[in-house]
This record gives sequence, C-alpha cells and structure tokens, in this order.
Amino acid sequence: MATTTAAVTLSSDLMSANISVSASSTLMKAGTTADGLDQMDYGVIEIPTGDQYDLICTTPTASKATKLYVKNHSTDETYYVKIMIDAQDIGRLYAGDWMFIPADFHDANADIEITSIGGTNTIEYALFHEGTTLIAS
Amino acid sequence: MATTCTVSITSDIAPGFGGISESMTLTQAGTVTDIDSTTGFQVRKLRSTSTVDLVTMANELVEPKDSVAAKIYIRNIGDGNGNIDKSVGVTIGVNAEPLGKLFGGDWMMAPLTCIDADDVTVTPDNDNAVVLEYIMFYEEA
Repeated sequence: MATTTAAVTLSSDLMSANISVSASSTLMKAGTTADGLDQMDYGVIEIPTGDQYDLICTTPTASKATKLYVKNHSTDETYYVKIMIDAQDIGRLYAGDWMFIPADFHDANADIEITSIGGTNTIEYALFHEGTTLIAS
Repeated sequence: MATTCTVSITSDIAPGFGGISESMTLTQAGTVTDIDSTTGFQVRKLRSTSTVDLVTMANELVEPKDSVAAKIYIRNIGDGNGNIDKSVGVTIGVNAEPLGKLFGGDWMMAPLTCIDADDVTVTPDNDNAVVLEYIMFYEEA
C-alpha cells in the first residue's frame, strides 16, 4: 500500500490562551481503511496575469478522496492568486500562503481554477488521488 | 501576535518525491502585518446528513472583511469519543459548492472570501455522530 501522510501544526497567540494544534492524517482511498491513495501529480508553474486558468481539470478523480496542496511561492506580499472551483470564488493565496484541501471534482465543471493578480505568481501544487480518467490522444 | 501554520507531506507514491515541508505566517492582505482576528477554536457535533453552515459569515460577531486573506482550518475528529472512521466523511462546501470530503482524521487549511454568501457548509455521509473542530482567521471589516 502506498502511504502518504499529511501533518499540520498551527499556532497562534491572538488569544490570551495560545492556540496550538497538531494533526496528522494518512491519506486513504475513498471509503476504505486499508488502501492508501496511490497516484499523484506534482508540479511548479508560473501563472501570468490576465486570464483564469485551470490548475487541475476534473479528469483525475471524480468524487473520491483526492487531496490538493497549493503554495504561492511569490515573494512580493502584494501578489496573490484567486482560487475558484466551478466558478465559485474560494479565496486568495497571497505570497507565501499555502492551502491543503479535499477536492472531489464532483462534476465536469469542478475544475480548480486560478487567476494571478499583481504579477506572475509561481505556484507549486501536488494532487494526491486514486484512479485517472485517461484521455485518448 | 503571530499565527503560523506548517504543513509536512510525505509520500512513497513516487520514489523521487522528496516531500513537502512549508510554513506560512498568516498576514493581512497585501502586507506583512499579522492577521488580527479569529473565531477562536470551536467544535461542532453533527448527527444527520443535512447540510448545515459551519460558519455563517453574516452571523459573525465581528464582521469579517471580504475578499482578503482569511483562512480556515477544519479537522474531522471522528465521533468525539476517540473513534475515528476513515471510511466515512463530511463534505465541505463554500456557498453550496462542494470542495471535497474530509474523512475521519483528515484536515484541511483553505483560504476563504468571507463574503456573506460564501458560508462554509458541511454535509455528513450518514447520521452517525461526527465532530469537526475548526478555527477561522480573518481581518476585521
């Protein structure tokens, strides 16, 4: 079984009692407890301003246990990317920000869409999934 | 007043994959100023397959600023009694748009718009008790 583990540590002193959270999860295939995600797409791309692009199309894995990691490697704090799914604005990743979300690509329109603001943003992404709908050439 | 979050991902899917280890300091949009507001750490127990708001943006005591650098952390911690079933999950959505499913033990860190319509919704797979812990960081409007 392939093993992929995602761990997070979150700390904040915004409140008088400091917050400290740690969690770790082994990424399993949907509905199973013994079989881990076994495929991945990993890359780094530069996103220019001007258009909205599909970072991930829906073909990898519909309605499974896919997880997506995205980091904005820009260093100018005014640069950011807008993340959208199926035309729904999810939020913004500013320079240095990352996200890690489940992504089930529930229908043909549920692409992960990205728009660069401020300048060209360098984006690292990793998609951990099971199964792939291959497209005949 | 710093808020930091570190992710570490290891995998043997691809032999050459060296893993990911990154840290971010949550800052206000377009600046290096630390983010300054939070919902605090909260726990929500769900017992039905109905879709409900985990965060209702319009109901926050302090109005979040729209379309900036807000983030939310959510984790499915099982039934709250130490039993974590990795085969069932909770679908997380924004403004009725499903993002994906957090199975038992899974966590997520996502950006948010905090626009009033963009509530964070949750839909469990079944009627068994499932507990989500979460915290949102945002800028005050």
